[in-house]
Amino acid sequence: MVIDKESEEFSIETIDLTKKFAKKRHRGIFGFLRKNKQENKHTEVTVALDKLNLSIRPGELFGLLGPNGSGKTTTIKCLSTILIPDEGRAIVNGFDTQKETAMVRASLGMVVGGERTLYWKLTARDNLAYFASLYKMPRKKAKRRIEELLETFHLSDRADERLEDYSTGMRQKVAIARALLHDPPILLLDEPTLGLDPGFARQIRSQIRELSEKQGKTVLLTTHYMSEADQLCDRVAFINNGRIVAVDTPNRLKARVKEKEIVEIAVYSPPADIERQIRLLLADAEVVKLIRGNEDEGSPSRIKIIGGTAEEHIGTVIDTLRQNNVRIGSLNVGFPTLEDVFIKLTGAKLTEGET
Amino acid sequence: MSQQATQQSVYSSNLSVIWNEVVKNIKTLFAYPTIIVFWAIFPIFWFIPFILQGEAFVGGLESSSFAEITGTGEYIPFIVIGAILSSYVNTLLYGMGENIRKEAYQGTLDYVLAAPCNKAYVLIGKAVSESLSSTIFAISQLTISVLLFGMNITLGVMVPVSFIIILLILGLYGMSLLMAAFSLMYKQSYDLSESIGYIFYIFAPVRYPVESLPIWAQIIGKFIPLTYALIIVRSLMLLGTDLSAVYLDVITLLIIDIVLLLAGLYLFNKIEKKTRKSGIISHH
Amino acid sequence: MDKRKRKHRLREVNCPTGLNWSNLKAELKAVWESYIKDWKIEFAYPVSFIRQLISPIVYLLPFMLYGIALVGGRYSPNLEQIVGTGDVVTFTFTGYMLMGFIGTAVWAMGFSIRRERWFGTLESIYVTPSSRLGQVLGMALHSTVHQMLGTIIQFIFIYVTFGIGLKIEGTLPALAIFALMMLALYGFGIVISALGLILREGWVVSDVLYSIMMILSPVAYPLVVLPTIAQKASALFPTAPALIGIRTFLMENYHAEAFGNVFLHLLLLGTAWILFGVLVFRLTDGYVRKRGMLKKF
Repeated sequence: MVIDKESEEFSIETIDLTKKFAKKRHRGIFGFLRKNKQENKHTEVTVALDKLNLSIRPGELFGLLGPNGSGKTTTIKCLSTILIPDEGRAIVNGFDTQKETAMVRASLGMVVGGERTLYWKLTARDNLAYFASLYKMPRKKAKRRIEELLETFHLSDRADERLEDYSTGMRQKVAIARALLHDPPILLLDEPTLGLDPGFARQIRSQIRELSEKQGKTVLLTTHYMSEADQLCDRVAFINNGRIVAVDTPNRLKARVKEKEIVEIAVYSPPADIERQIRLLLADAEVVKLIRGNEDEGSPSRIKIIGGTAEEHIGTVIDTLRQNNVRIGSLNVGFPTLEDVFIKLTGAKLTEGET
Repeated sequence: MSQQATQQSVYSSNLSVIWNEVVKNIKTLFAYPTIIVFWAIFPIFWFIPFILQGEAFVGGLESSSFAEITGTGEYIPFIVIGAILSSYVNTLLYGMGENIRKEAYQGTLDYVLAAPCNKAYVLIGKAVSESLSSTIFAISQLTISVLLFGMNITLGVMVPVSFIIILLILGLYGMSLLMAAFSLMYKQSYDLSESIGYIFYIFAPVRYPVESLPIWAQIIGKFIPLTYALIIVRSLMLLGTDLSAVYLDVITLLIIDIVLLLAGLYLFNKIEKKTRKSGIISHH
Repeated sequence: MDKRKRKHRLREVNCPTGLNWSNLKAELKAVWESYIKDWKIEFAYPVSFIRQLISPIVYLLPFMLYGIALVGGRYSPNLEQIVGTGDVVTFTFTGYMLMGFIGTAVWAMGFSIRRERWFGTLESIYVTPSSRLGQVLGMALHSTVHQMLGTIIQFIFIYVTFGIGLKIEGTLPALAIFALMMLALYGFGIVISALGLILREGWVVSDVLYSIMMILSPVAYPLVVLPTIAQKASALFPTAPALIGIRTFLMENYHAEAFGNVFLHLLLLGTAWILFGVLVFRLTDGYVRKRGMLKKF
């Protein structure tokens, strides 16, 4: 995909965007009885965005990748004017989010929160008609556009049924249709495939790609599915603790982690200190990380080893696992993924909010 | 395990369900101190208009017309007693339904229903916690009313009054079980709670003597546990009688309680099984 | 397609804003659609709809029956001494008839924002270019019409059951007073809806305010029954002058408790409450967006 790099205008630009949240600790009705003064400390400040600088060119499909709590949703909320930043600025389609809010809102289509942001007691058509009025669309134009979108998303047959009778995937489609009602130049998609089954998720991704490639829309997509970002995005930014850690195309990011340096071992019931044991064995490895899976659901834990001579010492690693009664599911020596890059850059995993 | 031991084990686990449900609900209540303060004080504001209306219509604190019907012309204590007892109806009918709706909204209802315990004990636990909180609020409201409106209350009368309140609560438990059963089947159970509340509000002598209603309305009132509770408590507190003078009303209240409790338990269990079979459960 | 060849859109947005007819038309349309949306959702709960239509009767009856029980009939000599008429039924009905519209301000408007939060749609509404106030007004309109339907049913019921004596010729000025009262109540309701954005237990505030207004309004009793300070405080709310004005025009022999020019009073109150409401709403809107509280329940 070729983006117009010569254009100096950005569709979305943030300049030192900062957002802090003061969180009140709920002490409970008898909190004053606690002896520990630290527990009684009323407010703690969380820095959600820490001088965030982002520039997205027109027509770009841009991914914002990070674990839960990294600042992705806060970024989306600042750009969409739901949240007012404490410092810095955000410019969307040339409009300042704090001074020209109506024009920013008219420039954006948003999918945040998905199916829960629609009226379930209304039909798809009623939902779209209502939101069309909130986007100040003339009635005839709105009617035409609604029919067009219902057709595009294969919802025409069920357009007059209430959303409470739809599946999750269908409701998500209505949410995306709503974002496209007023044909905005920019789309903000906050985890649009979260909770969808693989089939629907694939459909949604294909639609997102089409919006960017064929309609030239600028799309800012947040996700913690690295494969989704890898597949779809022209450029990807990693965000962690409210800061951009790296921005580049997926291929160039992956190139930062050399080929054949990734060893991934799927394991079952690993002890808590297995990471430490393997790290002691492979002192030259850049990263040794245990990523806990959900074994009850058939998803094993994974031990990821990046860099060093893991491939050469694989036998010793396996012996160590066996000594700890760890069942080995599979072993891969392969190409780096975006998650590998993220782990290498931050030490954190994309699927959890903890480092 | 012997049969006796098994029965004791089941018995103690059922009590444990009730106890833990009470603890959970009381802890949740304490997470909202504003609400505690509100219910302890604020319902008094709801009957102040009636007191002012009385003053405007009769020009004083006593109504001869009231005295003819009820035996006492003091309409203020009459109103206060009606308001405080009807608050039990509010919390047990609406509060229970609200509790279940909150479980559904939070997503915990499915897990509660999937648990192996008898769900009736969960509901009893909810009802017990609502009654406990209602009683605390009622005491607060009564204390404020005594101070504000100069009502005379002797401690001795509170013993039989407490007994009658317990009987009222039992009857309301039965009703709330019926409504919980209904709420499992139908999404609009809130409207049922409200509608039943309307019936109580109009046909029970909450604000006016039951004799001021037409005969057909008085007959409907005779099926409502609140009617008897109000008649008995007013008789005890305002006319200075004892339970022996109103024993017929006490027995009637007891019979209504038994009928409602048995019907409630039976229907709840039946409908719960039915909804699990049909898959309608917790579609809220 | 080579993206370099496609014209990129920057600033290409067609959306009316500012003080012009086009924008006003669009905002009014959004208000109307909000009104229609609320009706559609209401009709999805038919049992609730019917119940709410009869609830005005349910809340009026205790006042009515209590009043009759107090005086042993429908005539109160004490009331006649104060306001010129002793008809407790008509007096109570005319008071309670308006009471439901206080509910429009306090509950319907007050809960409009919280209800959208509960649905999960509040943020989706916030990111559209239409005014949030327009949406609150749409909900207010729905509640007003709903209450009107309930009041008509209430009137028919009371008329058939008890009989009411009203002056037909007073209908038009009474309606004018009603309209002015609603203007002020809408302003008051905007304040409450703003509070609903920031207070976790906003319903407590709504209930407290509703009860205070109920006490300060001469719904079930003449204003003179209240202590002097309460009588003065009642001048800040539209219901007191509105009730006095409406009773003056509709009830035979009713002589106005001293309230000056009701029309002027209500006009001033309406303007003040609307301006105050809009100010509070804007400030709260900014506060909530600064603190990120839109999603909190």
